[in-house]
This record gives sequence, structure tokens and C-alpha cells, in this order.
Amino acid sequence: MKEIIKELKELEELIMRCMKCGSCQSVCPLYRSDLKEQSVTRSKLAQIESIYEGKLKDTGKILKYIDYCLLCGRCKVNCPSGVKVDEIFLRAKTILRKIEKMKGWQKLILSLAMERPELMGKLAPFMHIALKFSSKKIKNDIYKPIFKDLSERHLFGIKRDPFTKSFAGLQKAQREKSQVLFYPGCAVQYIFPQIGEALVRILNYYDVSVLVPDLNRCCGVPAASMGDLELYKKMVNENLDFFESTKMPIIITCCPTCEYGLKDLGFRITGRAFSGKIIDILIFLEENLELDIVTSLKGKMSLHLPCHYDTHKSNLPSKFLNDHIKADYVTLDNQDCCGFGGTFNLKFYKKSKAISLPKAEEIKAKKIDYLFTPCPGCIMQLTDALISAQANTEVFHPIEKIYEEIKKRN
Amino acid sequence: MLKQSVLRKFKEIVGELNCWHKLEDLISYSYDAAVEEPKIPDVVIRPNNYEQICEVIKICSEEGIPLITRGAGTNLSGGTIPVRGGCVLLMTALNKILEINREDLYAVAQAGAITFNLAQEAEKNGLFYPPDPGSMKYSTLGGNVAENAGGLRGLKYGVTKDYLMGVKFFDMEGNFVTGGGKTVKLATGFNIPGLMVSSEGVLGVMFEFIFKLLPKPHTSKSMLVIYKDIIKASETVSNIIASKILPATLELLDAFTIRTVEEATKIGLPTDADALLLIEVDGHPAVVEEDFNKIKEICIRLDGTVEVADNAQQKDKIWEARRKALSCLARIKPTVILEDATVPRSKLSDMMKAIRSISAKYNLTIGTFGHAGDGNLHPTILTDRRDKDEMERVKKAIDDIFEAALKLDGTLSGEHGIGIAKSKYLEKEVGKGTILFMKKLKYGLDPKNLLNPYKMGI
Ligand SMILES: Cc1cc2nc3c(=O)[nH]c(=O)nc-3n(C[C@H](O)[C@H](O)[C@H](O)COP(=O)(O)OP(=O)(O)OC[C@H]3O[C@@H](n4cnc5c(N)ncnc54)[C@H](O)[C@@H]3O)c2cc1C
Ligand code: SF4
Ligand code: SF4
Repeated sequence: MKEIIKELKELEELIMRCMKCGSCQSVCPLYRSDLKEQSVTRSKLAQIESIYEGKLKDTGKILKYIDYCLLCGRCKVNCPSGVKVDEIFLRAKTILRKIEKMKGWQKLILSLAMERPELMGKLAPFMHIALKFSSKKIKNDIYKPIFKDLSERHLFGIKRDPFTKSFAGLQKAQREKSQVLFYPGCAVQYIFPQIGEALVRILNYYDVSVLVPDLNRCCGVPAASMGDLELYKKMVNENLDFFESTKMPIIITCCPTCEYGLKDLGFRITGRAFSGKIIDILIFLEENLELDIVTSLKGKMSLHLPCHYDTHKSNLPSKFLNDHIKADYVTLDNQDCCGFGGTFNLKFYKKSKAISLPKAEEIKAKKIDYLFTPCPGCIMQLTDALISAQANTEVFHPIEKIYEEIKKRN
Repeated sequence: MLKQSVLRKFKEIVGELNCWHKLEDLISYSYDAAVEEPKIPDVVIRPNNYEQICEVIKICSEEGIPLITRGAGTNLSGGTIPVRGGCVLLMTALNKILEINREDLYAVAQAGAITFNLAQEAEKNGLFYPPDPGSMKYSTLGGNVAENAGGLRGLKYGVTKDYLMGVKFFDMEGNFVTGGGKTVKLATGFNIPGLMVSSEGVLGVMFEFIFKLLPKPHTSKSMLVIYKDIIKASETVSNIIASKILPATLELLDAFTIRTVEEATKIGLPTDADALLLIEVDGHPAVVEEDFNKIKEICIRLDGTVEVADNAQQKDKIWEARRKALSCLARIKPTVILEDATVPRSKLSDMMKAIRSISAKYNLTIGTFGHAGDGNLHPTILTDRRDKDEMERVKKAIDDIFEAALKLDGTLSGEHGIGIAKSKYLEKEVGKGTILFMKKLKYGLDPKNLLNPYKMGI
């Protein structure tokens, strides 16, 4: 126990920065929904502090409070004192996990997903079948599990063939001018291979060859958020080792959370940064290529900005939509997190859904036909919420529509 | 320690999910935004309707349990710290704006509603709720009334007290009390809303308010004025007001704050300046133009370099400097003590001089910014609460700052309240008789001193 208190005390320098102003209340989706101090950053920091200050002896009690966090980063971005909230929470969770161990099955799934990517790939066809038999098909590719505990959810199908199975290798552009490496991430790998395909083909169309890895190694963020920073570090290191080994100058991602895990957070936790650049696909298309595609859609469209989207480029996705997709653009009043939060959705499904529903209701009320969001996690979450809200909106990664237009041209 | 039987009663009133009594939950209600020693309450209760408040009060009254009303817990004077333990009554679930009345220009809102939401609802209806404390995106209206919160618009538009028309609350016996109303004129009985302003939760638990609203000003214009000498900037402030112009906002940043903001944000502030004034005038377009030009002349006459914001973007940039002042200062050192001594605005330059010499005397880093237009400065002391020696000097410096403000006919607190942080200075400002009067009033209403005890020295 002494050891744990000592380790938490090492966070003091970071926690002291919090001046308890309470600003985080105005942005924390959980606080705004729960209306109690326990849900907000300031309180969670005070709880950690109370342990190393000796006010709270029962060290095991606070993990569940700190774990109750979407890691949406809003409090960190908005904090006047610049408190590094994500780092504090993740480190504290890892320390506190020494008292309350992860459940066996959680540990098993994590290590399977992270450490055995080849096995995950082999299991995918079985999961694909299992999901099919244990659920009702609601719409094209969307299933509702029949088990009682899961029956509130609307899930995307797990694909028989993981993305890298069909795309691994150098996908050469006809008139190659440059090369990049694509990091698919787990969602594209197992659930949305069509987004990966769109990304590769768009880049090819603009004379960029794309190297697709043989295997997808998880970015490690789920491990971090479950309180296993060691495993997270291992994943970051393995990925960066691999990136460096390819000698590619640019890594393209289409999941902002993977990018955050491999870049910003990764650097702060491991002290290691990739020697080249890791860039989101929209930013790469807008800033590095002459994207001349304009596609037209009938009806209204809107944008949901993912929490982990590069904070310096947060205006880029709406500009991208307006430049390349012609439709009636509507800005949402609700600019909150979608409520997914990765493992948060697994741990606190009801709350996760409660956070997404007001947004879904607004989208329904405004009769939006297409909702775009450059993040596979947000696509899953918002699709689930929109079906529950009985809205007819479809959710896409913006590049899916760009690819459709390119297919027409070819 | 709370009796199990009492805890059961509380749970019956508000339900399990609105009642917390475990240490790990209570910790979250042991502090507020002031730099004061946290104290753990015995129980936290979140009522969802007015009857529940009344029932909780009655139990606390019978059992002799201290009752501390809490909004967002963002006050800067320790006003919500449960000094003697007891029950924290969390008002956040009573957060509705009940009515915006366009004919009679008022709003009805619950005490737990967020200030910003009221301002936005008013704006949607073409109306204006001027009090805009820096914390308005998260502070509650109950906290605003109880602390008489001000903001950037104090000079022209006044503070929370100037907008409170009516209040409903329970006293410590659980009696329902209402004061004021929806009419502009009202002369029935005591001015109870006036009494509840700045009452810091010691007189009753307020749950509903009526606020005055104004028509929205047609237009506004901003400028940034750069000075080589802060004294000249202070003189400009006095001169503007003496020439019978009331800008909506008139904010000052000192040299240290300017450099800190510029280092952190790179918005292009002149780092060699000794002071900046940020000025905004609003109202009818013709009047705005005229006032704006007059102010410009005064600034230039006093050696200020004027930069006018021609469009919304530039205007935003000017105000960004002010909005980010506190946060940029806060990043320098771990502990931030935000003071709020206030002087009549003609004494502004004397106060600035005093703060400078105090900062030098105790060898402390103090950045000063604030509402120059109403003499309300925020000398912000940057320190580290683990540094015992420095904290001693900080305490002495604060004593000196108050001393200086009082000498200049000023006050301990323009807008942050007394709470526990400044209670020891209160008598010096108001005198024995006033303290006695406050105590008698308090003990008449709450003989066991259960409502927010120890605040304002009571
Ligand atoms: C970054 C920052 C900037 C700030 N800027 C300003 C500013 O510009 N101007 C300004 O004036 N203040 C400012 N403040 C101080 C603070 O935000 C205000 O005092 C605000 O009014 C407090 O509101 P609250 O809801 O947080 O109240 P709390 O802190 O919860 O409570 C404050 C006091 O009010 C009492 N109280 C609360 N609700 C009720 C109720 N319903 N009935 C009876 N008593 C009640 C409490 O018992 C306590 O004594 C700032 C604070 C911070 C942290
Ligand atoms: S906004 Fe930052 S400094 Fe303020 S209470 Fe939250 S974490 Fe602390
Ligand atoms: S990361 Fe998001 S959910 Fe977590 S405390 Fe901060 S604002 Fe709240």
C-alpha cells in the first residue's frame, strides 16, 4: 500500500497545477449530464490528492471514479492551468490497478487484441458468424444482439476478412509520385474495411502509393484506458519500431484516437516520437494534395468533430466538407463528445448512450440526411444512437463519399 | 458523525442516488476555488424540488446539523467549505430557466441554473442579462446572488444586485420566504432581495429568482490602448469617466500580465508596454461613434497608442488577451491566489503603485489585471503552497494589499466575497457596530448558527 501511495505522490507535481477553479464543469460531458462534482476532473484530482495527503486511507475506493471518464480531453484543452488530465488519469489508473486487478476476461481480451494480432485476424471469421447467429439484422450491416444484456445496442458486423488480409502490401499508384504508410487501426481492420479501401484508392488516384502493413497492431489506447500503461507503452513502441523500419516519411491515419495514442499521448507517456509525420487523412488530402473532387448529395449534411481530432486543425473537417461535398450544410448546436470513449462504452453503456442521445435527437429534429465524422469510433456510436432515436440519418467517414465520386470518374 | 437514523431520513426525502455519505464522495465537496484548507462534510444532498429542500432544512434544524448551500463551488473566498462538517446541499439539479418575459423584461430562474444559460436565453429573445463574471459558463445564479458577482460590464451596467428583482428562499426553520416581485416599483416590506445579495448562504437557502433584463444594445466597438507608463493608463480611466462617458467595459492589464499572455498565446501584444487598456463602448450606433472618438482623444492626449478593432475578428483578438489573462498567469506557478481589492476609480493609480511596492517588498510575483473602470483590480499572486517561507510572505502581502485598499477608501472585496478567506479583515473595514448588527440579524434568524457557520466571521 505504501508503494501505491508513493507512486501516486509522484503525480503531485502534475496535480498541484489544478487551482480548483471549476472551469472543467462547463465542458465535461459527464458532469453536465450528472450534475454532481464527483463526475468532474477537479474532483477526481482531489481524490487522488487526498490519498497521498493521507486523508483517504482506503486507497482502493477511488479507481471507479477515475475510471468513469470518457478521456474526451475537453477538460484538458479548456483548463486555464494546463493540467495534463489525460496523463494523470491514465497513470493513476495504472497505479490503482495494482489493488483492484482487471477482471480475467478483460485481461484476456486485451492481451488477445493487442499482443496476438495474427490470432485476432484468424478469429474474425468466427466472430463474424457468431454475431450473425446471435443477433437480428436491422439494416444493411447493422445488428441488434438478442441477448438481454446487449439488446439495447446496434452493432456493425465484424467482417469475415480483416482489412489487411485483402490489402496488405504496397498498393501502387499508376503514376507514383510519393509513398506513404497507412495505419488502419482496429476499427478499419475488423469493422470498416471499406473506409480503408476508400483511403487507399483515393491516395492512389492522386499518385500516392500506399504501403499497407501485413498485420494491424492496436495503438494501445484501450490498454491505457483500462489501466495497463505497460501494455500501452509496449504497443506504442512496437508500432513506432515498425513505422521506422518501413523508412516511410509519412504515416496516414483515419482514426483520431489512434493518432493521439501514437503521437501526442504516446510521446508524453513513452518519451518517444516518430521521426517522420503521423497525419490524419483529411489533413493530408487538404494540405498535401490537389484534391479536385466535388461530389453532390441531395438533402442536408452535418459534421461531428471527434474529440481527439488534432486541436490545431479543428476547423479543417468542416472546411473539407464544404469544399468537397455539396449539400445543405447544417451546424449542430450540440458540439459534445459522442459519448463513445472506447472502453467507456463497454464499461458504462447506459451513460455512454445517454450522452449520445441528445445529439441524435437534434440531428433527427433538423432532418439531417448525412452525418459525417472522420472517426470510426464516432461512426459506431452515433449510428447506434441515431437508430435508437429512430432517425433516418446515415453516418459516414467523409472519404467514403469522395471515393464514390472517384469510382464514377474511373 | 451523522446518525444512521438521520441518514435514512435524508435518503427517504431525496432518494439513494441524491445522497452521498462515503468519504470518497464527500471529498468532492470539501473544497471550492479558494486557496483554503479543505474540510469534509458529513453528508451531501442534492434536492430535485423545493419541498425536498424544506424537508432537509427541517431535519438539519431539529438535529443541529450545519447546512452549507453549494452551487458550482467556484467562489474564491472559501464560502462553501464545510468548516464544521454537516450537510452540503447541492443546488445543481434545480437548474431551469423558467421564464423569459419580453413584455415586462424579466426572467425567472432556479438557483442552480448556470449564469451563461440565462444570458443565452435572454439573448435568444433579443434581451440582455449583463452580469458576466469570468466564471459565468459554470457558476450558478444562486452563487452569483449570494456573492453579488460582478464582471466586465460593472462600470456601465452594474453587478448582480442591480438585476435581482425577486427572490424565494427557505429560512433555517423551513419557513417559505419571498421578497420582491415582477414590478419595477415595489414598496412592500423590507427590501428582502437586497438583504439576500452578498449573504453568502448564511441567511437562507434561495431556490428561485426574478431578474431584470435589458433590451440588447444595438452595436459595440472596441479598442486596445498601449501605454509606456501604467500611471498614465490609470489617469486615462479617471479622465474618461470624468468626461461623462460610460464604456461598457474598461479593462487593464499590467506589464507582467501582458508579457505572460503574449508568451503563452502569441497574439501580438506589445511586450515592452507598461500597461494596456481594453475599452468597449456599446449602445446606439451614433452615440457609440461619438463616445468612441472622445475616448480615443483622451487616450492619445495621455500618450496612449490606440489600436481600433475594425471587425469581429480583431475584436475577438483584443478580448482574447483579457480572457486569457488569468489562465496564462496560472500556468507559471502551481498556486494562484486571485485577490480582488477594490478602490474608488479615481484612486486606481495609487492602488497600482501600492501593489507594485508590496510585490517588491515581499519579493513576490504579482500580475495585476482587472476591471479598471470600476476600480476592481485582481492582483494575482503566483506562488507554491508547499513553500512555507514564501506562503508566509504571501500572507503578509495580502494584509498589506487590504490595508492599502482600505486607506484609499476602498473595500476588501469587489466581487469575491468574504467567506473564511477574508473574515479576519472584515471588522477593520466595516467596524464593530456593523459586525454586531450582522450577528444579531443572523442569530435572530438562525439561533444555533447552522446555516453556513463561520462565514464572514459569524
Ligand atoms: C476563474 C474564476 C473567475 C471568476 N470570475 C469572477 C468574476 O469575474 N466576478 C465575480 O464576481 N466572481 C468571479 N468568480 C468567483 C465565483 O465564480 C463567483 O463568486 C460565483 O458567483 C460563485 O457561484 P457558485 O455557483 O460557484 O457558488 P458557490 O461557490 O457554490 O457558492 C458561493 C456562496 O454562495 C452560497 N450559495 C450558493 N448557492 C446558494 C443558494 N441557492 N442559496 C443560498 N446561498 C447560496 C454558498 O453557500 C457560498 O457561500 C470567479 C471564480 C473563478 C474560479
Ligand atoms: S479547469 Fe483545470 S485548474 Fe480548473 S478545476 Fe478543472 S482541472 Fe483544475
Ligand atoms: S476527459 Fe472528458 S469525460 Fe473525462 S473528466 Fe475530462 S471532460 Fe470529463
